[in-house]
Amino acid sequence: MLQSIVHVCLAGLSTGMFIWLVASGLSLIFGVLGVLNFAHGSFYMLGAYFCFTVLKYLGSNFWLGLLIGPWCVCLVGFLVERFFLRYVYHLALPYQLLLTFAFVLIFDNLVKIVWGAGSISPPGLAGLGESISILGRNFPIYNLFIIMVGPLVALGLWLVIERTWWGRIIRAASSDREMAAAIGVRVPALFTSVFIFGTWLGAVGGGLAVPYVGIMTSGMGEAIIIEAFIVAVIGGLGSLKGAFVGALIIGVLSAFGTRFFPAFDMFLTFILMAVILLWKPHGLFGGKK
Amino acid sequence: MEKKELDRRDFLKWIGTGTLVAGAGALGSGVMVPTGLWAAPPQIKGPIKVGYQAVISGPLAGYGEFHKMGATMAVEEINQKGGIAGIKAEMEFRDSTLKPDDAIKNARYFVDSWGADYLAGIDSSGQVLALAPVVEKLDKVLMVTHAATEKLTEEWVYKKGVKQIFRICNSTYHDGNAAAFIAKDLPAMKWATIAPKYEYGFTCWKMFQDMLKKLKPGVSFIAESWAPFGTTDFRSHINTIMDAKPDGLYSTEWAGELISFVKQAKQAGLFDKIKHIMIPMGAAMDALEGLGPEYPDNIWASARYFFLYPNNKTNNDFVARFRKRWNHYPAYVSETGYSAIFTLKAAVEKAGSKDTKPLIQALEGMEIDTPAGHRVFRKEDHQAIYDVPWGKLKSDPKYPFKILGEQKVIPAKSYYHRPPFEGPGTEPPFEK
Repeated sequence: MLQSIVHVCLAGLSTGMFIWLVASGLSLIFGVLGVLNFAHGSFYMLGAYFCFTVLKYLGSNFWLGLLIGPWCVCLVGFLVERFFLRYVYHLALPYQLLLTFAFVLIFDNLVKIVWGAGSISPPGLAGLGESISILGRNFPIYNLFIIMVGPLVALGLWLVIERTWWGRIIRAASSDREMAAAIGVRVPALFTSVFIFGTWLGAVGGGLAVPYVGIMTSGMGEAIIIEAFIVAVIGGLGSLKGAFVGALIIGVLSAFGTRFFPAFDMFLTFILMAVILLWKPHGLFGGKK
Repeated sequence: MEKKELDRRDFLKWIGTGTLVAGAGALGSGVMVPTGLWAAPPQIKGPIKVGYQAVISGPLAGYGEFHKMGATMAVEEINQKGGIAGIKAEMEFRDSTLKPDDAIKNARYFVDSWGADYLAGIDSSGQVLALAPVVEKLDKVLMVTHAATEKLTEEWVYKKGVKQIFRICNSTYHDGNAAAFIAKDLPAMKWATIAPKYEYGFTCWKMFQDMLKKLKPGVSFIAESWAPFGTTDFRSHINTIMDAKPDGLYSTEWAGELISFVKQAKQAGLFDKIKHIMIPMGAAMDALEGLGPEYPDNIWASARYFFLYPNNKTNNDFVARFRKRWNHYPAYVSETGYSAIFTLKAAVEKAGSKDTKPLIQALEGMEIDTPAGHRVFRKEDHQAIYDVPWGKLKSDPKYPFKILGEQKVIPAKSYYHRPPFEGPGTEPPFEK
């Protein structure tokens, strides 16, 4: 029983941290730009495909792939922000959703054209692909690695936003766009940089997904974006702290749900979301700006 | 004066006779045409149009492409050799998206707007059950090439009499009942399942249990874990099964989810702890290629068609042509898509018509040789019956992926008429 509980906890933690990696970029972009970016799931997907492609052509070193792949996605993110999203910032949320959803469809089809519609199953990772025995049952080392990477990303993001000059400007511009512009901040360029950074976070999540999920498909972004949305909503839209806590809760809850309440595992996260939103309509850490 | 009158009388006479002759001629021809030995053969107005739908978006997108390859190749081959009864075949392919309402929309578009004569394809059991009543209204033959639920043929065709539906691929009888025939010879007594949380997963597990209990009293079924569509993380499910400590695991996961599941189960050491594994869809091309050498060996697998069976000229030539055309081994949906089009050809040529009623009459009980072997369309429920092997995965230097070793072929007729399909239709009309 103890063995089972420990393993369910570990599985939940790795699921949660994995969702957090994707939700962080989504939350950052919403928090600063006020755009609910549906295409974030596509950046996640592109991240996986680019990492894989780099991996395939540059000597199959996973870390090299993870280093280079997301930068290719950043270029895509730049084009999307500079030439499309910038023109809908002032419009109502539905218009932003429509535009970003259009990008989901476009990217899904682009991936099909470039990489083929079938699923791609990349080879396992040397070293990190093994598993170690915890209380007599194997647990993949890679999942432990994800469990550790999650908090590190959270810490890094916190440092960047709270402790750097760039972070201060971001906070200033997100709370009062006009005032920031008035004191000489180049808001459009700043927003572009934030969008690219958020894109990069999503793409890295995608790269890390390759060994985690074990397969890439042209629809992989849509599955994760829903989880990421739930996490962001529970935590309070735009709150990074909230997204982190939300991801942890969802991950552990769904792992326990699957193991101990299998009849409800599909609804548990939605029930939780409903309860939290009834109790705190702005999410756990979402306050009014 | 008199002469003049005579002339007039003659004139009228001539007119009268002429009219009479013409009238008789018209009448005569009207009576002659539809009767007698001189009747013209029924004319089929071409082209013959096939509306094919399969999923080409989302996580299972690869399936649609494989359908398309098979069906497209069949249309090409047929048209090169002069078409169906001398008439050109045309195919339009649409994305079924796996959603029931989209399947219905596509079918309506095919028939109402595009003028399809024959519908084919469909991946998910949920879709096909939603589509059944619509097909009856549209009144076109639907040849199902992938969706496997036995409810389609038992409920809709056999009980409710929706004669327009046929299925060319094997169904849950193979995945559930035939699996039990293999499992009875394995030393495992305690079985568990990890399966997709929908129609197909539930039915297969139920059939497997019912059949295995009959064949091998004393077996027990100790755990089940259901993974919803779109599951990418199977770790909690794997924990559930490993906690129960079964000797055998039966899993109807398929496509991308099967690949994720096998990889994650391997990391968790599941294949070391549980020795006997059965995966009915495990020998599908996408799983074999996707997992490559990582696929563990102690797995009994099958599919709806395996490209190395039967080892005869028809099949080997098909595989060779397919590889030449697409640079790929044919997946099972490629074979069923391909054969579905050739079945249409055979049915139209037999019926001498492309209308629904004669087509149904031609298809009922029809026997046809296809790459997957000899198929018979059972008259009662319109299910095609043919043999597909089970086998234990093994490496082969000739292929970059695992293939089926220790092949075991349970004759289709021994498990297609087993429960739950009982009644007058259970007596096999397909004995050879």
